[in-house]
This record gives sequence, C-alpha cells and structure tokens, in this order.
Amino acid sequence: MFGKLMICGAALLLFAAEARAETIEEKVQACTGCHGEDGKPVDKTIPTIWGQQAGYLYIQLRDFKRGDRKSEIMQPIATQFERDDMLAIAEYFSQKPWPDLGQPRAPKDVAAKAVSASASVGCPACHLDRFQGDGTVPRLAGMGRDYLAKTIADFRTRARGNNPGMSDLMLATSPDDLAALVDYLAGL
Amino acid sequence: MHVKALAAFAAAVGVGLLSGAAIAQEVKQEKQSVLGNANVSPVTQEQLNAADRNSKDFLLTNGNYAQTRFYPGKQIGRDNVKNLHVAWIFQTDVKESLETSPIVVDGVMYVTTSFSHVYALDAKSGQQLWHYAHKMGPITVYCCGPNNRGVQVLGDRVYLATLDSKLIALNAKTGEVVWTTNIADPELGYSETMAPTVVKDKVLIGTNGGEYGIRGFVRAYDAKTGKQLWNFNTIPENSVGVWATKDATGRDMHRNIQAEKDMLAKIGDPYAKLGGGVWQNPSVDLATNRIYFVVGNPSPDLDGSNRPGDNLYTNSLVSLDLDTGKYVCHFQYIAHDVWDLDAVSPTVLVNVKDKDGKTIPGVIHAGKTGHIYVHDRKDCSLIRFSEAMVPQENMWVLPTKEGARMLPGANGGVEWSPIATDPGQELAYAINLHQPMHYRVESSPYPNGKLWLGGAFTAIPGEQQSGNITAVNYNTGKIKWQVKTPEPMIGGILATAGGLVFTGEGNGKFAAYNSSTGRELWSFRAGAGVNAPPSSYMVGGKQYVVVGAGGNTQVDFKRGNNIIAFTLD
Repeated sequence: MFGKLMICGAALLLFAAEARAETIEEKVQACTGCHGEDGKPVDKTIPTIWGQQAGYLYIQLRDFKRGDRKSEIMQPIATQFERDDMLAIAEYFSQKPWPDLGQPRAPKDVAAKAVSASASVGCPACHLDRFQGDGTVPRLAGMGRDYLAKTIADFRTRARGNNPGMSDLMLATSPDDLAALVDYLAGL
Repeated sequence: MHVKALAAFAAAVGVGLLSGAAIAQEVKQEKQSVLGNANVSPVTQEQLNAADRNSKDFLLTNGNYAQTRFYPGKQIGRDNVKNLHVAWIFQTDVKESLETSPIVVDGVMYVTTSFSHVYALDAKSGQQLWHYAHKMGPITVYCCGPNNRGVQVLGDRVYLATLDSKLIALNAKTGEVVWTTNIADPELGYSETMAPTVVKDKVLIGTNGGEYGIRGFVRAYDAKTGKQLWNFNTIPENSVGVWATKDATGRDMHRNIQAEKDMLAKIGDPYAKLGGGVWQNPSVDLATNRIYFVVGNPSPDLDGSNRPGDNLYTNSLVSLDLDTGKYVCHFQYIAHDVWDLDAVSPTVLVNVKDKDGKTIPGVIHAGKTGHIYVHDRKDCSLIRFSEAMVPQENMWVLPTKEGARMLPGANGGVEWSPIATDPGQELAYAINLHQPMHYRVESSPYPNGKLWLGGAFTAIPGEQQSGNITAVNYNTGKIKWQVKTPEPMIGGILATAGGLVFTGEGNGKFAAYNSSTGRELWSFRAGAGVNAPPSSYMVGGKQYVVVGAGGNTQVDFKRGNNIIAFTLD
C-alpha cells in the first residue's frame, strides 16, 4: 500500500511538466499513477475515473481548483488546468471503459436493506436507474468499496465539502443502511 | 404463411436450410426510413386558438391553451371502451423516465423522451418519420430525472427545451435544427424539462433549478429567430412580502417572524439565489392576453433560516401580460415554505362559480398539499379550496434535525402531473401521491450550483404508500369520487367527451374510468410504469388514445421505452 502511494506520489512530481503537455494523452499521463493504467485505481480509496460521467469529472476538477473539494494531491494538479483542459480531460476519461474491480455482489439481505434505504432517501432520482449516473452526477455502480465508504463518511462529517446536499442526505440515512449501500453499490 | 413471414421465421429460429436461405435472399426488404419526412401542414395560430374544439389533433401538451385536458371526441365511450386494444407500440431508443405528453398534428405525432430526444411518428401506424437526438452538453444539473415533457408546433417548427438549458426550433418535416438559443447556464443549476408553450409568435418557457439556488424566470422568445423578447423573474428584488403566518387554507405555518426580520436586517433580501423554478406550461387566456402559471419552491428547500420573508413568488400562482411579461397578479399558497410542498401542476382555465354563485372566469391549480385551489382569473384571489385529496397529518410541523413526520410527503398530493377537467360536469380530475415522510433540516451555505436541499425528506420505511385518482367538483370543493391505487401516482390524466378519464400507474396499469363515477371500465398492462399524461386524436376516421410507458425516476417506477396507441376495431 505504502509502495503504491509512493509511486502515485512520484508520478505527481512529474506533473508540472505534464500540465504543459500538448496532447490530451500527454496531459492525462500523470493521472495513471494513482487512477491506474488500466482504469483500476492503485489504491482502494482512490476513485475509478475510467467510464465516469464527464460532467461529474469536470465539476470535481473545477472544485479541486477552487478549493471547494479538498485534496493535497488533486488540488495542485487541478490548479494548473483551465476550464477547457478540464472538460477535455473529463471527456477523455468518460470515453474509457468502466473497469471491473471484481467486487462481490451484496448478499440478498444486504441488497434488500440497501434498496429500501435508497428508496427512502431517493438516490435514483439523481444517480438514475441502476446507479449509472448522468451529467454531473457520478456513476456509483461498481465503484471501489473503500472509496464509497470513505466518501460517505466524509460527506457525513462534511470533510467532503463540495456537495452539502449529499451531506444532508447521508446524515439523514443511518450508518447501518449506509454500510449496506456501500456493499450493494460496489457489487453492482 | 407468406413467403416473407417464412423467411423471417427461418431467420428468427436460425434455421440453416438452404431453401430457407435462398428464399430470404429473394425477398425484397421494405425500405426503412431512418430520417424520413413528416408530411405535415403548418400549424396556424387560429388552429391553436381553436384546439379545445378540435378532436382530430391534440395540438398542445395539455390539449389547448386553457390546459383543460378535455378531449372533445367521443368515438371511444363508456359502452365500447371495453373493446379498446393496442393499435401500435413504438419503442424509443431511450429507456429512462418517460413524462412526455404526445401531441398530434395532422396525422403526425411528436413525442419526447428523457435526455431531450424528439420523435416524429405516423400517428396511424407508429412508424418513425424522424428522430432528433440532442447532443447534450457535458454539464447537466437537474432534479428528479433527465425528463422531457413534450414539444409544441407552430407553423412548420417544433419547439423543444433541453436538459442542458437550450431552446431549439426544429423543422417539423425533417427534424433538422433551425435555430438554437442558450437559455441559462446549466453549471449554475438551470435545466429544462417542460414543454414550451408557443403563442402569437412567442415561445414561453420557464426553468428548473429550485433545488440548486437559481433565480427562476419565465421568458418569451421570438418563435422565428430565438431572440429573447421579455423576461420575468419569478423572484422579485423585493421578495419579502407581507410576513404571512397562515397558508392558503388558514393553517398556521409556525414561522418565527421576529427571527426572520432580524436575519433580513443582517443579510438583506435573499432574492438572488432564492429558487422559484417553473416546471409546467402556463395557461393562456386569449381573451385578456394573460398567462397563468405556478412557481415552485424556494432554495434551499427545507432550510428557511437564510431566506427571511415570504420568498415571493415561490409557491404561488402568477399572472403576466402575454405581450410584455409584466406582472398582473399573484396568490401565494405557502409563504416561506420549508417542506417543498410547492406549486407544480399546470394551471387550468375554466369558468367557475364565485363565492356568490356567479359564474366567472376562473383558474385552478392542484397543489402538492392535496388541495385543488380555485381562483378568480381577474385578480388571482382565492375563491375556495377543495377537500384534501390525501391524508394530511401534523401540518405544518417545522422540520427538525432528527426528522419530523408530516403528511403529505414532499412529492404531494399532486406533483407535476397535469390535471384534467370536464366543464360539463364541473369536475377536475387529479392523481395523487401518499408517501409518509420525515422532514429534516440541515443548514449549509450556497453551494455554487450544487444540490441545495437544506436537509432531506425521507420516505418512512414500513409506512404504507399509496395513490389515488380523485374527481373534485371545483364549484363546491367537494370530492365526487375517489379511486385508491396501490402505489403513489405521478404522470397525468385525460378526460374525454366520451365520459371517460384515462390514467396510468407506476405498476404498468393503464386504465379507463367512468368520469362520473370512477368505475373502472377497461385496463391494460404496459410492462413498465405508465407515468405520463395520455393524449387522444383521430386519424383515418378512428379515435386513438396514446400514452408513454417508461416509468419514472422521481418515484423510481420500472423504466421502459414504449409509446403505446390504442384504438377500437
């Protein structure tokens, strides 16, 4: 784990040069250090961005740059991009195939609990049928389990501060139900 | 069996017989028109003005400018509706929430789907004539599904508003883009799901975004050029109002007026990010040249602490001058709403009895509260409100951090679903939701165009949800009949001169009821949620009823992609 993060960090050291890169392939080279060469993140708390919704990826880059979403790693990266770069990078990754992380399906009772919690708070109203996301709303189906758990926890403490509406919804849902949702979404 | 059918059979079952293959090669395939032409005559303003008396076409999403959803044809009636059967099924390319109101012009049907697609279909056969697949921008921010509720035609153009907040004129014959206008910035939470209303060369459109801290509006654009003609901010710069403590029905809303006044002194008028989306078409009074529409909730939905005052004109009926967009009158149902029990369902213009029993021009609206409100069209004043169509409990308890139980739930009552009316029977027909909910409040600053609910409304697990179809006499406010349904209802309803109402349910049932008694006379299982308003029309001397069956995002009913037309033999 430590080794992987070191590699991930080392890739970032090269980033200043990458940001001045000409082609989109050159621009996104540094991303692979953490988010994976094959779309599978090198660490389980890092999100899948291959096949993610372009609008969502753009908004996250924008928010890292603005400081609305905090990350010591992502903020310096995003700061170097202009809006058009962000849109191009977002579009690039959205066109990649979503990787199969090989996470197991949630057991029936866990899935039932998750579906009930989702219906109560209304997740599909934004994340849509089968949690595929759209536009600025992310795909959650098949996202890394540890990233989902960390993100939900961060929403509840508002450490993830760039979507207070999501914080409100996560605070309105019990930790038990959220744990079921994590397993359910990771296994979709 | 015909040769062609045999070949198709062989192909379908994968029969490798030489003779079968030979036959298949000999069959000349029918030419499939991918992008064909709709042979449709231009729609004149005179035709649109007379839409309420036209049983051949269905020219506007709610039938006519008064939005009565009363179809004047009666070939399909109470005696023969039992023989209604599928005429054709058209499958769209988009399997997601379907809220479209089909319109029919001269034998051509125009339907829309989620993500702002438009199809022109032969209304008799269901054959596709053209398909406009909108190239969506990367930024879309919307509440309650990527829906689209329909289009309107004027002249030889079809008018569409898109999820990424553009207004587009299409060629009615070919589906090609004539002009595009940016309405507002989707990155700030603006989106479009409603059908435009086109009248007197003006395209009228509101905006969604009340869940994202927008400043709402209704606008008129030039139908020929797409140039903006006027703008009406649904949130005026002075949004404070009269510090109303009671709702339209006289119930106390438990406002802390002093705390609000203190906050007003501290932060000033909160109009700039106060929400006030408009979800559905305005009705148009051609005699007085006025339009009537309702304005949705304030932002953030559940947290009133940073938006002191009545939050005008949220949760209100508003009337404007059609030519100038100037304010005429308004009536606010719930001042300083903290429950999202706002005004969404389209207004309807009918003659009503005033308090003295005199017949006057009226305007009615079905609220998320579960009441049908009846107004004087002259000054927007409230004449009466109906009996509640859904259970109401604990109104108006203030939302708490832990969650306060109140009925109706935040979807209503009546959601965006248009009502229908039958003026001969003085009845309005509404479909309702019953969803017990907890209302929770959380406070957070404006999040730059992100979801800004100010808390959460959560359906209470274990508490039974249901729905109903209710007929209300708008001259007395009394419920004439009510049919209970097993699930909450969202979509719409159509009344016909054949003495029927048609409506669908989330479980896929689409049914016809006797409009005087509520007795079910016919039903069909569509296989996906029927959560869209039905329409009716005539072609080739036969009456058809058409409805979308594609489920719903907001209430999470099973998705599908079917447009289904029914007729008699």
